[in-house]
Amino acid sequence: MNKKGSLVGAVLAVSVGILVIHVNFVIFQGLFDAIVRDMSDYRFGDIYVTDKEDFIEKSDQVLVNWFERIPYVEAATPRMSSTASINVTKFGQRIEEFRVPLVGVDPVTDVEASTIYTTVEGEYVSSRNTAVVGSNVARDLGGVTVGDNIKLKVTDRRGQDQTKRFIVTGIASSPGGQGLDTSVIIHIDTLRDMLDRGDDTDAILVKLNDRKKATEVRDLFLLSFPNDDFKAETIEESAEEALSGFRSGIAMINMIGLFGMMSSAFAIVTIQMMLVTSKTREIGVMRAIGARRKDILLIFLFQGILIGTIGAAAGTAMGLSYTVYAKETKMTFAGSIPLEVSYDWGKIIQTAFTAFGLAIVAAIYPAFKATRLQPVEAMRTV
Amino acid sequence: MKNLSKTYGEGDTKVNALTDATFSIKKGEFLLIVGSSGSGKTTLLNMIGLLDKPTAGMVFIDDTETTKLNDNEISSFRNSKLGFVFQFANLMPDLTVLENVILPRSIQKTEQNAVDDAMKLLRAVGLESQIHKRANKISGGQAQRAAIARALVNRPSIVLADEPTGNLDSVTTETIIQLMKSMARKLNLTFVVVTHDREQFGEVDRVITVKDGRVIETENNSMKVVA
Repeated sequence: MNKKGSLVGAVLAVSVGILVIHVNFVIFQGLFDAIVRDMSDYRFGDIYVTDKEDFIEKSDQVLVNWFERIPYVEAATPRMSSTASINVTKFGQRIEEFRVPLVGVDPVTDVEASTIYTTVEGEYVSSRNTAVVGSNVARDLGGVTVGDNIKLKVTDRRGQDQTKRFIVTGIASSPGGQGLDTSVIIHIDTLRDMLDRGDDTDAILVKLNDRKKATEVRDLFLLSFPNDDFKAETIEESAEEALSGFRSGIAMINMIGLFGMMSSAFAIVTIQMMLVTSKTREIGVMRAIGARRKDILLIFLFQGILIGTIGAAAGTAMGLSYTVYAKETKMTFAGSIPLEVSYDWGKIIQTAFTAFGLAIVAAIYPAFKATRLQPVEAMRTV
Repeated sequence: MKNLSKTYGEGDTKVNALTDATFSIKKGEFLLIVGSSGSGKTTLLNMIGLLDKPTAGMVFIDDTETTKLNDNEISSFRNSKLGFVFQFANLMPDLTVLENVILPRSIQKTEQNAVDDAMKLLRAVGLESQIHKRANKISGGQAQRAAIARALVNRPSIVLADEPTGNLDSVTTETIIQLMKSMARKLNLTFVVVTHDREQFGEVDRVITVKDGRVIETENNSMKVVA
């Protein structure tokens, strides 16, 4: 076996192992982070406040003002939610959809605490009789467009049906459908009236200017309202509940990556063993002219170090190039959600060092085998 | 060499490759070990060269009982006291001719003046124009000359050559033999050469004949002595 070819093969094995881990990280961690990002931006904020039992009865204005006094908080907004039956008459035909999620928003504070308005084509909810229809709902209702009238029917707290007509001002459509594409958005006060909920609020979304302070702000909030039954979760906690399965999937993918790297180590063992076999005669000559076992060991260990160094450097360079490409192009798959690509230097360095270490460990056995060769036996090898 | 024996295998497969060989080699002597194929001459050379351990007996080189040395000491001893020329030149194919000649010094980690010393030897063997060529790019005769230079670079006490011309044509064989003889004379070196073709070497200091693992006779210049 050609020595250069063997070394290139071993270096490639290490590089590809690292590249696979980087690609896995970019795609799967990027997808996870993108979903968390969109959950935060559209639905939960950085802190999501609810009542443990039912609706928040404290004035939303009081809570929003409380949050907005904290320097780490950029904005806060109340949300209300329910389900509704919707009907629309298009071209003389009445189409009805049942149990459609209904979201009530405060048009003034919502655009500061959430980016859901950016997914709306047309105009966001601006008055008490306007609605934004999610693109999926609009499609199911036979192609509702801006300017159409829709009729929403909800059941209030007393079990009475309440119906109201709305003008559609916008259609919400988000990349990957992570926004409110399957919901209808209306003014929060209108929804409260229809549900006969007075000043009740379903949840408060809090957007921070520094997400790292989420736990601190959450704890301060819960300490400040000890007699209320508030439940406050950071986005990580909210996402953990919603995405625990996904998290397990990522752990599995990482395991697969690690196995890939282990395969690289086995490839190095194989290649180094082939190299030892092909160099048996030369090892014998080296031993004959005075090389000690330690010298032979060091030669093959040095090769392992060389393979590990070049492989780790090349693999990290390739992996980082892919990461930069994915970040700069805002990589998506088939027009789906754009990946949230980040540089996790801790993981990058850990991956490089693991590969480097594995390459050296993988070189130990073949190196040891090389030292056991007897000069006379080795030189008989053709 | 004192009562040197080497046995391979055990039980039914036991083979006595060398039996009770006793003889001494004088400094500066050009000694041939001759015998037919399988007679045990290479085994004897391997014992002298510390490439193989005897089953019984002792090997003294420069008053050192080499059979008592450990593996590291044997390696150092081989490196500093012995030079080897093999049937196939056994140069490192990826290294240049000069790097091959310097190799024993590199192993010894005494690379000071190594290039100068190697260059002197390469000039002496007529390879000064080939020093930067890779070892796998030179002819068989040139490779064997480089191997002789490599064997001499550490100024060894003994140079051991195992069928050094076995792989060469007759013209190159003559050149290599004359080269070894002249180097031996010029540098007052002890040469022990294993060959199956006594006639090729012409006049030498001494000849030892090995048959069926036994040293059966020695020829001192023209005088034959039964061992």
